[in-house]
Amino acid sequence: MSNTRKWFASGDPWIWMIGGALTVSLLMVIGLIGLIAVRGFGHFWPAELIETKVRTASGEIEIVLGEITDTETLTPLQLQDTDLAGQADGDALTSRAQFKVGNRDVFSSDFRWILEPRRIETRVPDDAIMLERREYGNFYGYLVNIKRDGEVIARGDNAFDELKAMLEKNRAQVDELEHIDRYEIGAINYRLEQARLDERGLEFNRDKISAREYQQRMAEIEAERETARAQYKDLREQRDALMRELNRASVTMRTADGREKEMKLSNLIRATRNNAMSVFEKTGYYLVKFKEFVLGYPREANTEGGIMPAIFGTITMVLLMSIVVTPFGVIAAIYLREYARQGTFLRIVRISVYNLAGVPSIVFGVFGLGFFVYTMGGSIDALFYPERAPQPVFGTPGLLWASLTLALLTLPVVIVATEEGLTRIPRAVREGSLALGATKAETLRRIVLPMAAPAMMTGLILAVARAAGEVAPLMLVGVVKLAPALPIDGEFPFLHLERKIMHLGFHIYDVGFQSPNVEAARPLVYATSLMLLFIIISLNLTAISIRNRLRERFRADSD
Amino acid sequence: MVEQSPQVPMPGSRPGLSNGEMRSLSDEDPCIEVRNLNLFYGESQALKNINLKIPRGRVTAFIGPSGCGKSTLLRCFNRMNDLVDSCRVEGLIRIDEDDIYDKRVDVAALRRRVGMVFQKPNPFPKSIFENVAYGLRLQGVNDKRVLSEAVEKALRGAALWDEVKDRLDDNAFGMSGGQQQRLVIARAIAIEPEVMLLDEPCSALDPISTAKVEELITELKKKYTIVIVTHNMQQAARVSDYTAYLYLGEVVEFDDTRRIFTNPKQKETEDYITGRFG
Amino acid sequence: MIDKSSLGKHISKEFNEEIEDLRERVLSMGGIVEQLLSDAVEALASGRAPDLKEVKAEDRKVNTLEVSIDESIAELIARRQPTASDLRLVLTVSRIIVDLERIGDEAKKVYKMATRLTDARGRHADAFTEAENLGLHVQKMLRGALDGFARMDPEAALRVAREDDKVDREHEEIIRLNMTYMLEDARNIKRAVDLMWAVRALERIGDHARNIGEHTIYMVTGQDVRYVDIARVEEIVRDAQ
Repeated sequence: MSNTRKWFASGDPWIWMIGGALTVSLLMVIGLIGLIAVRGFGHFWPAELIETKVRTASGEIEIVLGEITDTETLTPLQLQDTDLAGQADGDALTSRAQFKVGNRDVFSSDFRWILEPRRIETRVPDDAIMLERREYGNFYGYLVNIKRDGEVIARGDNAFDELKAMLEKNRAQVDELEHIDRYEIGAINYRLEQARLDERGLEFNRDKISAREYQQRMAEIEAERETARAQYKDLREQRDALMRELNRASVTMRTADGREKEMKLSNLIRATRNNAMSVFEKTGYYLVKFKEFVLGYPREANTEGGIMPAIFGTITMVLLMSIVVTPFGVIAAIYLREYARQGTFLRIVRISVYNLAGVPSIVFGVFGLGFFVYTMGGSIDALFYPERAPQPVFGTPGLLWASLTLALLTLPVVIVATEEGLTRIPRAVREGSLALGATKAETLRRIVLPMAAPAMMTGLILAVARAAGEVAPLMLVGVVKLAPALPIDGEFPFLHLERKIMHLGFHIYDVGFQSPNVEAARPLVYATSLMLLFIIISLNLTAISIRNRLRERFRADSD
Repeated sequence: MVEQSPQVPMPGSRPGLSNGEMRSLSDEDPCIEVRNLNLFYGESQALKNINLKIPRGRVTAFIGPSGCGKSTLLRCFNRMNDLVDSCRVEGLIRIDEDDIYDKRVDVAALRRRVGMVFQKPNPFPKSIFENVAYGLRLQGVNDKRVLSEAVEKALRGAALWDEVKDRLDDNAFGMSGGQQQRLVIARAIAIEPEVMLLDEPCSALDPISTAKVEELITELKKKYTIVIVTHNMQQAARVSDYTAYLYLGEVVEFDDTRRIFTNPKQKETEDYITGRFG
Repeated sequence: MIDKSSLGKHISKEFNEEIEDLRERVLSMGGIVEQLLSDAVEALASGRAPDLKEVKAEDRKVNTLEVSIDESIAELIARRQPTASDLRLVLTVSRIIVDLERIGDEAKKVYKMATRLTDARGRHADAFTEAENLGLHVQKMLRGALDGFARMDPEAALRVAREDDKVDREHEEIIRLNMTYMLEDARNIKRAVDLMWAVRALERIGDHARNIGEHTIYMVTGQDVRYVDIARVEEIVRDAQ
């Protein structure tokens, strides 16, 4: 036998091959997570603001201020497509940089590509300011002055500190305003809506109750409405006062090329001099931004602000799905494995269930829309919410239907895993229980199910992993790009199954492909992806730790 | 040597057991009676016209080559064969005069009367205490004091108490194989059956554990009628009072163990126990 | 019930060989003992003084064989745990070798007496003839017993058992005859006693041969026929056929 053949026979090549394949897979996973992590996390780090003088094609000098978000190298051939076409210098490579210049309200575009040969002079000015705004994205420029009621109250060097102090004070007021908008007015609206529905319900049932009672109830509703309206009026005034106070101050900024722009202070969130910040300050800024991202509400068509509602929606939906899918899957698996007569029919059923796992998820979405939303939701509305017609309650996509659709989608996974677990329980253990006079049901409950629990958890882990990452069907059955309210809040019944929700997966899609400013939103896509990954991993880790605990408890010989 | 009458045991011998005189099955009080038993798995017949009277308070061993139906016969006595869909039983089995294949029989109740221990130790994934208490809990006994007493009694009965009394709350899987098997026996005797069926109880145990279980069997026969299936002929010879040799679903010979192992009547039996090819 | 054909049918070839080896060694031991006996009877009858050393050597051979067979039996029980017919065979062999060894000893005794009686022949010729007859009879019994064992033939063994009664009677005859001689002449007493020792030994050999026959019957039928009435033994042997 030759050496090569001996080497092959020893099995070493296979081990190398397997090891190699594993390494490649690992590298791919690490690369994927690494890319997302770097891009996602990097987004919140305050970038250097660079001011550069540019000679345009027409020979004019222009000053550009912004952060460099990308650079690329151009070959002479690629250079032909630019306005430098004629100046191509033999084989030399040129590069260009992408500047985020912001100031969308002034420049109309956030980004600019600037060719390296066109840059004449570059500097990093300490007094360049990045303004985070509620509208139109960031502003890059220099502070001119601060006005209050139209009068200049600060200018020059100390104006920036004044600006920061004002913004700090502003933030408290804005928070209060938001609170009023989001919660207090929301609660009153809810009460008004409730009163309206009560009234309609009363109309519906008018012939069932006495006239006196009707009158009395009507009066109650009217009184409730009156108080709500009065409260609303108070709030409104409070809000307007706050608003007026906020709008009193304004800031005048100058762009790099000298244009001035006055902005209401209420429109600003944060002002930073990136170039003058120490690493420590930058870290603080970073953490604040990250916290805002995780816990905040989205702004600007989701391209700014936080993703809290999406995180919340995703988790709520997945949990709800788990609650639904576990009992159904387990019961189905128990029936298939323990009670059904094993035969051709059962085999067909089982194959169908297994194949269900391979059906494209959008098909489930269509089914969910057709069956859950229209048929079931429509029936529920007709039966329980006649007073709301023609407004649908459950007859429109919502949290419940999204969860149910996902439950249906992941049902095969749970069934297969549970069945697998049931099959793995040694026959001897069941027989041991039966031989002690237990009935089949008792054996199932006391012995088989506890022993199969880890397998069920495995099924659930797989289901959660699949459900949390699913987007396509959800667009049809309950996920929207911007939900007005969270599915869980302080209003009775606290969990609002009929509400539409936001979802990280859909959020990624929406921000990345549907937003008005795709380029600006890209870092957010990475950050959101990272968040989605993180949530899936933590959900899985939770389930895995529960499973391991169960395994330890019901440790069987075979494990 | 003078002819001995069965009434006058030899000095130093246990009455009715090893006084040199062969026992006769017809003198014994039958506990399980099998009459014209036929058992089918689908089309194939696993047991053919079995007739047996298993004596009370004795250890009866079933021996025979693999597939001879000895386990199947054993599993008829607590209707464990009901679990097999294709299994069909004809004929009569009576335990204490009750026809156990009668339609009105509560199988769970039957299994409480007829305990069973399996080939591989099969403790439940619970604590030692809960394993033994399982049968009682099934019967609705939940009083902690009653359970403790019953568990202690059963564990003592299975000669396991001293080894585990300090770790009753430990998982049963932490025990050795031999301990597990005795735990399973304790679990069975906790519900005080009349008959104990042992299906190759030592086949997964080492010799020392086997010896302990065998010693336990000898101890248990004072209270229970024991039927044991074993592949180990020496074990049958050691522990049983009566031995039935089954071959191809038929009882070839059923007699006093001492006769079977010294001078069997049937050539098939002889060939089997002496390790010849028939 | 076993017969010779079933001996070699064990699944384990080694076991077959061990059992066959055991039987062969018993038979070769039997052969030596037989030779010893026939030499002794010959000596007693002819009055020629044979070589005592040779006889002693033969006897030692018998003893060695007994010990080695015993060892083999112990080993076989330990390793094979024989049951049923195998068990009975082993037990029988274990008993037979004891009997054979005794026969060897008794033969040696006859031999010794024969050497002391070389000069007495002429005077009590009829007693010597009787003794020789007894010797030949016993020899035949031993051969029959060994034959019965070798062929596992209970009939042959039964015949040996029957013969023993005759041997006992012949023994009685010779004793009586010797008594007469002793009464006739007190000088005869020494020789008569010597002869009686020899005859006594021959009778013992007959008993041992009978034992061998009985062991053989036990081996074949599984029934212990020691101390059992001969009619009952006949019945057992007949049933076994």
